[in-house]
Amino acid sequence: MYQYTEVDQKLVDERVAQYRDQTRRYLAGELPDEEFRALRLMNGLYIQRQAPMLRVAVPYGLLSSTQLRKLAHIARTYDKGYGHFTTRTNIQYNWPTLESVPDILAELAEVQMHAIQTSGNCIRNTTTDPYAGVIASELEDPRPWCEIIRQWSTLHPEFAYLPRKFKIAVTGGPEDRAASQVHDIGLHLVKNDAGETGFEVLVGGGLGRTPVIGKQINPFLNPQDLLSYLEAIIRVYNLNGRRDNKYKARIKILVNTMGIDTFREQVEAEWAEIRESDLRLSQDEIDKVKAQFAPPAYAADAADSNLDALLAQNDDFRAWYERNTVEHKVPGYRIVVVSLKPYLKAPGDITDLQMEAVADLADRYSFGEIRATHHQNLVLADVKQSDLHEVWNSLNANNLARPNIGTLTDMIVCPGFDFCGLANAKTLNIAEQINEKFENVDYLHDVGEVRLNMSGCINACAHHHVGHIGILGVDKKGEDWYQFTLGGSSEAEASLGKVLGKAIAADEVANTIETILLTYIDQRDSEAESFLEVVRRVGVEPFKEAVYAADH
Amino acid sequence: MPLIIDRTPVAEDKWITLEEDQAIPADGAVILPLAQWLENRETLAGREVGVQVNGDDDLEQVLTLNGQVELIAVEFPAFTDGRGFSIARLLRRAGYKGQIRAVGDVTRDRLAHLERCGFDALLVPEDRYTPDVLNAFEEVSVRYQGGASITRPAYPQS
Repeated sequence: MYQYTEVDQKLVDERVAQYRDQTRRYLAGELPDEEFRALRLMNGLYIQRQAPMLRVAVPYGLLSSTQLRKLAHIARTYDKGYGHFTTRTNIQYNWPTLESVPDILAELAEVQMHAIQTSGNCIRNTTTDPYAGVIASELEDPRPWCEIIRQWSTLHPEFAYLPRKFKIAVTGGPEDRAASQVHDIGLHLVKNDAGETGFEVLVGGGLGRTPVIGKQINPFLNPQDLLSYLEAIIRVYNLNGRRDNKYKARIKILVNTMGIDTFREQVEAEWAEIRESDLRLSQDEIDKVKAQFAPPAYAADAADSNLDALLAQNDDFRAWYERNTVEHKVPGYRIVVVSLKPYLKAPGDITDLQMEAVADLADRYSFGEIRATHHQNLVLADVKQSDLHEVWNSLNANNLARPNIGTLTDMIVCPGFDFCGLANAKTLNIAEQINEKFENVDYLHDVGEVRLNMSGCINACAHHHVGHIGILGVDKKGEDWYQFTLGGSSEAEASLGKVLGKAIAADEVANTIETILLTYIDQRDSEAESFLEVVRRVGVEPFKEAVYAADH
Repeated sequence: MPLIIDRTPVAEDKWITLEEDQAIPADGAVILPLAQWLENRETLAGREVGVQVNGDDDLEQVLTLNGQVELIAVEFPAFTDGRGFSIARLLRRAGYKGQIRAVGDVTRDRLAHLERCGFDALLVPEDRYTPDVLNAFEEVSVRYQGGASITRPAYPQS
């Protein structure tokens, strides 16, 4: 993985000192609340319902074991012994004090980490595929490009006060595990007719109050022009995006208002001015960054002839193998997904001890690296087949091997009203209710791939619009109610879910999901037809009839 | 109001800023709103003139000020309004050599970014100025990006 140069290290060290001084000035009353708010947000610090929340950047989801141990140390020392992984593959701490944040940042800087631009109206952490570099279908590893974007966007002097937050995702192949089509900019590595690799560029995707799928602005961008093109898009946005209404300030609104063609013309005009500049990446620079993501030294003898026997002997191991591991592009290796969705725990939460256990596993079995995923799980990307049984045992012992990846209980859930100052409704109690109802793993495996995303308010941090089943918590006269959408997806053929009907009472959410799943089983042509495929084929009507039947 | 030019506080400021409906004095260096300047540009020919613009003004008109006035004041109506950063970048890119002055919500934690975008003059509100604001310029010395004066970005170094 990428290792900081002296320049990179100096930047995070200087940033820690700068933020320490900003905190000091705020506490001394020299910095007005409003202004400190913008500054602390650009460093990932929110003031929430219970306490401040610090969001630490995990650039494109990649962590070393050393970094994960540091995160565990921070959880233990400055928080209540746990952290929460987010859909932007960052980690949040819910209980640090405002005064301790400069010290936390200094600890992070020791392991080449920071909280720069994890919030605020600036360019956020660039996300990518958690299977980058290890999945056979990809054209090219997207992470070097993410690192180049990380550097270019870090403390960009012109783009620190954009109309609104700005998110970029990069994918390396046809499968989209980064929700790139609901990002402000989505970059897809593609091949053109001449066989060259470049980027398809999407712009103006997003969720929140106005969910939109991103539109293609450029079918093929030469990779050397990546930064000038991004700069052109964001400059046009910075100058023209709305600033009078924060709900209309994202680039998606600008693109929709101008129309993609007019927007493209403006971007191209600006791009023409800066394309031939020092923003052009030289092949030498690109190669230097790529070299830092070179594949690890895979063993030729990783395949295990004993694996089939173990799988045949042990149903639990087999269930885990089938659900929580993925085919690796190198024979003999397997991608292991570490489930952060154990029974009756908040989705995405992880304790200090679990972090250390995963760090140890990474050191022993996966080249010392860990990835965080958009679905709020972790990944050990390079595990030998012959090590799988031991890895499973160890994950099991740490409550990290629930065989539920891609199933209903592998939910994306925001922290909701229990923690978040923006939320209208609770989510964690509903996640528990769903867990209790659907504890039976065999049943979930029969239902197959279902993506359930639940947000506690319209800001849609849990991407409910693109859940196969989306749930949005709403407040009705002081009570929590839940609106369902069906048929959303953030993957290759992204789509926004359609509303099922009127909101459901809190205690009926799990029962409603059961009705929906039974309707799916009833409607499917065969077990091979997934939930999403059925919803796309038959529409929401049969589900609506089943769920609201009692009302007729 | 404390004025910083090229990182140095200056006591003397010859420029007088006029409000929209204020009469133009017979002599002296004046800064007018863009609309006023467009109206009076012929009568002002030969005088020391500056123009104040903000993000609501037509960008094409702002860029045509290049070569016509000696000072362009870019207004930051709120510290969250970042349009002025891009306006300064575009003016410098167009070759504007005069003073670009940041006015309005111009405070310490933005000074370094303002300078890198091409502002050489920074008008800091009286109640937000202490001598230590001058430390702001060197708090972060690493520049991953090019800027108005140094175009070569730092990322090739890594």
